[in-house]
Amino acid sequence: MDQLNYKEQQEFQKIVEQKQMNDFMRLYTSLVDRCFNDCVNDFTSNKLSSREETCLNKCAEKFLKHSERVGSRFQEQNQMLMNQMRGGN
Amino acid sequence: MSFLGFGGGAPQISSEQKIQAAEAELDMVTTMFNQLVDSCHKKCFDRNYAEGDLTKNESLCIDRCVAKYFDANVKVGESMQSLGKSGTLNRK
Repeated sequence: MDQLNYKEQQEFQKIVEQKQMNDFMRLYTSLVDRCFNDCVNDFTSNKLSSREETCLNKCAEKFLKHSERVGSRFQEQNQMLMNQMRGGN
Repeated sequence: MSFLGFGGGAPQISSEQKIQAAEAELDMVTTMFNQLVDSCHKKCFDRNYAEGDLTKNESLCIDRCVAKYFDANVKVGESMQSLGKSGTLNRK
């Protein structure tokens, strides 16, 4: 896909930016959902308890770190796969 | 321009098609990455969240999880290819 000319690259860049925005929103809503489900289970009050709040914070922090680490490993594995394909041919 | 027989011979792919192909590839990688994050999160964490940092065990689990996911990807690809060649997939 690197044979796009300058004009095509610019058009593609716009699409990428739109997708990044969507992806960020998706990340956000899914993180809320995940941490809500894992941390909030007590409905004797309509306020978050301090325990739930701590859990939410840790859940979000941990997930973002998780996602970051998966990202770096993902890149490494991708690179390895590419090198194999190039070497194999 | 290519209507007038400019670069005749080699099949010309329009800009639109090239961008669509790039977009499809991006979508595939994004989907795979999101599924990977999701699957490994399910497999490597318990729901107590005792601390915000990744523990040693969790980090190790993530690294192995990603490596195995890629291996699984390759294996499934290979078996689909061999099924395709033997015609199993094309039979209705």
